[in-house]
Amino acid sequence: MILSPLLLLGPMAAAPAVPVQGDLFVIKAPRVELGDGEVMEHAVILVEDGEIVTMGQDLPVERGIPVIELEEGQVVMPGLVNPYSRYGMSGGGYNDSRPQVMASAELYPSAAYKVFLENGVTTVGQYPAGQGIPGQAVAVRPKGDTAGAMIVEDGAYLKVVMRNSSSAKRNLRDGFKKADDHLKKVAKEREKFDKAQAKAKADKKKSKAVFVAPAADPRVQPFFDLREGKLRALVSIRNAASYAHLVDAVGEEDFEWHLRVPLTRDIDVFHVTEEVGERGCFVLMEPLITLVPGTLRQRNLPAEFERAGAKLVLLPRTDSKAGFESFLEDVGVMIGAGLDRKAAVRAITHNPASFMGLGERLGSLSEGKRANLLIFSGDPFQPDTKLDAVMLDGKFVSGDMDQ
Amino acid sequence: MHLRTNQQRRASRPTWLLMAASLFLAPTAFGVASVDDEPAKEAGTEDEEDKEEILALVGGEIHTGLGGVLRDATILVRDGKIEAFGYDVDVPEEAEVVDVSGLRVYPGLIAVGSFGLFGSSGSLDDSVDPYNQNMTLALAAGITTAVEGNTVAKLKRGHVDGLVVNSSAFESMSYSNGNPQGQLKVEADLKGAADYIRAYRAWEQEKKSNKEAKEPSKKGVDQQSLRVLRGEVRPRFNADTRTDLLEVARLAQRFGFRPIINGCREGWTVADELGRAGATAIVTPRTRRPKDESLLREGGSSIENASILYEHGVNVVVVPASRGISLGGIVGQDLLHLPVEAGFAIRGGLPELAGLRSITIEAARVLGVDYRIGSIELGKDADLIVTDGDLLHYQTFVQWAIVDGEIVYDKQAEMFFAHIRPRPETALAPAEKMDSGEEAPADAPEGDPEGDSEGDSEGDAEGDSEGDAEGGDDEKPVTDETSGDGGGEEPESSEEPESSEETAGESGD
Repeated sequence: MILSPLLLLGPMAAAPAVPVQGDLFVIKAPRVELGDGEVMEHAVILVEDGEIVTMGQDLPVERGIPVIELEEGQVVMPGLVNPYSRYGMSGGGYNDSRPQVMASAELYPSAAYKVFLENGVTTVGQYPAGQGIPGQAVAVRPKGDTAGAMIVEDGAYLKVVMRNSSSAKRNLRDGFKKADDHLKKVAKEREKFDKAQAKAKADKKKSKAVFVAPAADPRVQPFFDLREGKLRALVSIRNAASYAHLVDAVGEEDFEWHLRVPLTRDIDVFHVTEEVGERGCFVLMEPLITLVPGTLRQRNLPAEFERAGAKLVLLPRTDSKAGFESFLEDVGVMIGAGLDRKAAVRAITHNPASFMGLGERLGSLSEGKRANLLIFSGDPFQPDTKLDAVMLDGKFVSGDMDQ
Repeated sequence: MHLRTNQQRRASRPTWLLMAASLFLAPTAFGVASVDDEPAKEAGTEDEEDKEEILALVGGEIHTGLGGVLRDATILVRDGKIEAFGYDVDVPEEAEVVDVSGLRVYPGLIAVGSFGLFGSSGSLDDSVDPYNQNMTLALAAGITTAVEGNTVAKLKRGHVDGLVVNSSAFESMSYSNGNPQGQLKVEADLKGAADYIRAYRAWEQEKKSNKEAKEPSKKGVDQQSLRVLRGEVRPRFNADTRTDLLEVARLAQRFGFRPIINGCREGWTVADELGRAGATAIVTPRTRRPKDESLLREGGSSIENASILYEHGVNVVVVPASRGISLGGIVGQDLLHLPVEAGFAIRGGLPELAGLRSITIEAARVLGVDYRIGSIELGKDADLIVTDGDLLHYQTFVQWAIVDGEIVYDKQAEMFFAHIRPRPETALAPAEKMDSGEEAPADAPEGDPEGDSEGDSEGDAEGDSEGDAEGGDDEKPVTDETSGDGGGEEPESSEEPESSEETAGESGD
């Protein structure tokens, strides 16, 4: 069962880095982390044109197909997905609502993206800077000669900052209110148009006019997109109170939203773990142990949220080279502190990919997924393990392995 | 199973105790109710999750705050309101039942001044931090409603809406001897308003016979003074010295309104005047200020202030010296000690009931919210606290605080005081007991009647003054007998007879 690589259209198809045709090879790996938490041993992965065509245990390999035979002990894992980074971007933002701003406009194929690849990050979500509602993020593959070649998905999510303050709540409420106002305006125009049509009919004039709705303000359009499910929101909260105010501000509005919960300082979000878990949204956190504010009581919030039912996404502890370098080790520490190992793997591969709506294309290893994978010298979460090679779209882009 | 989990969750910030309770409860409750209740529940979840939440506090000693005390009674709370309380209360099967036997139930306390309890200033609806530590601590002190700025709001932990009870708590007026100009202005305003009201009334009379009569002009009439004279609001004055107090009292008598006097330090020297003026005094019994030695007359602070004011017909509201929660050093005069502060008023001679009222219903009155909170009455908001002893005793802890029918504080679930005299596990009612409210108080915990009676007699015989630890030791054998089935129970169980002895002793007073 061979899937045509043509199935994968979109921006990727235009990317020049994708091999043109007939680029077929096999990876034989003693142990593969699939990304959904499961592990496959003695796996054979058939890659064609940067996409995994077939994958299975001990599959026979046709003669003539080049084979990359991994050594005993080496572990394959899907390329890491970091959905929340501004590494490689610069500048600040504003404090108000600018949902129409696209982070992709800032994108520039600088050398900084090499750092992602060197540390095994094969997909990055980059968000616009600023407080309030700073704009929409872009999913990026950290390799390419032009910004266009790097973009995997534009408008991956809308970043929203929520605080327990009236201005933050107003940003969100006003957005939807303006969308409603626009609808009212359209309805009014429609009525006017219909009346004119009726009059024309009464006058027995034939009119071929077609109603054209007035275009929405670019600041309003993202809120329509949210309502229609074309866009998801990532809401950054600072404490349990801002979550409560978020729920209050969202009210009856029905749209997809997820949470960014920074653990870089002690935070009291454990008050709302259950509610968030019941909602089952994605929660983006650092792999850090935090203290109950004002005390010395440690909490493993990532593990708590994961257990409660939230879909955990782990981010490097700082958005910097040092953070990327220690990332897997930090995740390992969380596993040692009680985070489920399978959940931890999901939280750095499959979950962040599906958070950005790319779960069908990357973030895990199975048929039809991009051949974004990492080859480790051992268990990825052990501090002495080395990242031997990074493969992006079927090509080694980092590390010391040859194709 | 899924339903039961929901039930547990909705048992709000659930403690292991309550969870256990709902575990017992769930099978019976849902066996019957699941079919009919489903639509109601769905409708409920649309606007308020907590709709149709029923809470029953069973077996407690209910202090209504108005003088009534009901022992071994039940309070039933539905949708955040007190639906019933007393002895013949039917507890519906779906109710969340908390056994409070041996404990006391009071109306939630009201702090007429506070800061920092809501974690923010400004518009509370948009900026409250309903999980902030000070709110929890204030609930631990029994406070369920507080004034922040000039807004009366409830300490609804975990909620960001429905907190505000009254957005303009006080109508402040300044009338101090130190500012004669200001005094003249206040007088002129009040006089203008009084003249206007007189003219308006005359016009109303005249209108009946003469349709041409002209309505008096509102121009230049001070609106605040008008509201005061019409009795729509009660103005609040800051006054401490005898001179200021007398001036306020006379102003009030002259224009016919009832002042609220904040401070009122030397009120005890002019209590009769204040009483005649129908004043309410907001006092801090532990205020210490020597008299002005240059004056011959009496002055300065007095521990008897509250009591003397009360004797002269002045309603007394108590606030601590500090309106915040202060954990630095041995403070003891912050909002955490509101009941203790009221206790000091009692030390100065205030009757106990007036002491309780000074932090509940009288406080609600000066804030204009007594129609909703401040006492345990049918139809009022279910803002309740459950304590393990006399509220005004320094040793007493708040075990549960309930706001709008939801348990928002549980001593054992919060880290602050859980380790001090932990609540005995036996405070939980056995499963059979929760089915009907009527029987609940009567047959008390299975093994306990013996233990209780023994505890009583022993406690009485040995006198109340007996040291706690000793009393506890004496009781131990009893515990072993009664909790024989429990086997190697936790050490907490030794606390059980101790607390029952305490309550027995106190309720016997």
